Amino acid sequence: MEARSSRELQARNYLEKHRIMDLLTYLTSALLFFRPERPREYLISILERLRIARLSGVALPFFMDNSNIASMFEMLDSSNKGSISFVQYKEALKTLGLCTAEEVLKDDGHGVTFEKFRNEVNKRTQEIWSAF
Amino acid sequence: MTRGPSDSGPQGAAALRGSMDATTAPHRIPPQMPQYGEANHIFELMQNMLEQLLIHQPKDPIPFMIDHLQRDNDYVPKIVILGPPASGKTTIAMWLAKHLSTNLLSVESLIAKEYSPLAADARMHYQKFKMVPDMLLIRLMQERLKEEDCVRRTLFSYGLSQSTEQSSLCDTGWILDGIPETREQALTIQTLGISPRHVIVLSAPDTILIERNLGKRIDPQTGEIYHTTFDWPPESEIQNRLMVPAGIFEGETARKLLEYHRNIVRILPSYPKILKVISADQPCVDVFYQALTYVQTSHRSNAPFTPRVLLCGPVGSGKSLQAALLAQKYGLINVCCGQLLKEAVADKSKYSDLIQPFFEKEIAVPDNIIMKVLKQRLDQQDCVERGWVLHGFPRDLDQAHLMDNLGYKPNRVFFLNVPFDSVIERLSLRRTDPITGERYHLMYKPPPTIEVQTRLLQNPKDSEEQIKLKMDLFYRNSAELEQFYGDAITLNGDQDPYTVFEYIESGIINRLPKKVP
Repeated sequence: MEARSSRELQARNYLEKHRIMDLLTYLTSALLFFRPERPREYLISILERLRIARLSGVALPFFMDNSNIASMFEMLDSSNKGSISFVQYKEALKTLGLCTAEEVLKDDGHGVTFEKFRNEVNKRTQEIWSAF
Repeated sequence: MTRGPSDSGPQGAAALRGSMDATTAPHRIPPQMPQYGEANHIFELMQNMLEQLLIHQPKDPIPFMIDHLQRDNDYVPKIVILGPPASGKTTIAMWLAKHLSTNLLSVESLIAKEYSPLAADARMHYQKFKMVPDMLLIRLMQERLKEEDCVRRTLFSYGLSQSTEQSSLCDTGWILDGIPETREQALTIQTLGISPRHVIVLSAPDTILIERNLGKRIDPQTGEIYHTTFDWPPESEIQNRLMVPAGIFEGETARKLLEYHRNIVRILPSYPKILKVISADQPCVDVFYQALTYVQTSHRSNAPFTPRVLLCGPVGSGKSLQAALLAQKYGLINVCCGQLLKEAVADKSKYSDLIQPFFEKEIAVPDNIIMKVLKQRLDQQDCVERGWVLHGFPRDLDQAHLMDNLGYKPNRVFFLNVPFDSVIERLSLRRTDPITGERYHLMYKPPPTIEVQTRLLQNPKDSEEQIKLKMDLFYRNSAELEQFYGDAITLNGDQDPYTVFEYIESGIINRLPKKVP
């Protein structure tokens, strides 16, 4: 039984180190959103772009660009105060898959402004992508 | 029993499923997404890729994934055939290999290879000890699986083919005949990442096998195995060539059988879900067809699946009953078209004014109005989330096209066949009690007391002429509908409801059968 748990651990570590689950989630979301005629070729093209981007340091193909983040913020901030509550902010990050349920975020008492929201989303996305 | 790395695949798949499950997200997901996912088998695609990643754990996952996607070998045959001596393994394996155009690997073929130092080693060992050591056999297998298909390569070099691709055996699939022989071999193969998708075990009583083995003959040129009684070659030149192989007499066979039984018991637990035992005590052709059907079915996958079921059948075939049973057991939404229209009128919704005149005059409601009411119902959140069971619509090809164009494509269609007499029996004996409102059937659910029986009334729509008319109408349109829904499953509706329900259940849960060309 020793061999089994060490193999499993090994496999889990591998998944974490290369952030395979995030990559696969991104690929699946892209496929379901764009619904290409030939899914395999489409996946190959995304992976090729990722590979080149990593080698040459070119900007990575983000799933959500700035206009998406802006519209998401607007949806959350229904009364146009200019900031969203902390709970909303945490839920939004969870929906985007950028933070886990257990993670503790600092609540500095004031609301979260658009600037802060956008910077945080970009920072976390960058973190995930740099591991690929 | 230790598990190989391929076992962590299912847990990764569960996490994948969580990310794809439409029902956990509160916001609405357009139905095109899960439809696309189902049609292109996206879940299985991702699951296979994840499994390969976990088995090989490459340092650089992205090029590995690109390579895997380009190979596109998720569905090639990967079969293992096991069985006692004289069960017909090799014959079945050869026929399958020819039929599926894939490669056959057996102990004899591996050690007979030329140009390989490993094979020469193995041959020496076999001559001395009559068996090949495990590690050597495994390494021979690995070598063979990695090498490229020599025949194709020579064709390319003669310019006979335009393509410049070279395929390895992994791309065309493989069939293992009689490997693994022992549990150790089975485990080693698993750790190397060679895992079959189907395992067939032939079985027959020992006495039959011993007798059968006495009649075994081999054709030295083609290597095919014939039998003096069961499988005698028609051409006389083959008949003259046949040789008696060594080791077919009773003592030898009995010894080999003992060893086989000892080993097989410990190999079988390694392949729990993909195993199928076929009785070898029947004609070769029957065994072959059973094996072929099994190998061509895919196993149940873990993909998220929202059933959208369509039940078609003449009046009285039991559609409403089955729909109610399905709704109760699986939480699907029961959408009965007639009911929907009546509710629309009763609720005095915006459609009630449109539909009411048709009800009064007893004419069929036109298609576009039905479609509007139906659309409204099927778009509601609970239908999208939990799936639906539709019956009573579409009744002809135009309605089917209309539904299809609006994007409501069912993923399981069932046709219930019931002969005319059964329908008459079921419907003409229906009665309703006007006071309590209970519905009875004079044969299947008789009323409890004479008092109730005397006051029972029959619905005028249940008269024989009416039923006949409706059935004729259905059968006129059913041929076109069956053609339109090519993947439909036809069932015999003339059985008790729970039997029919079980058939419908298995039709929904298992993958749609691939039509054999």
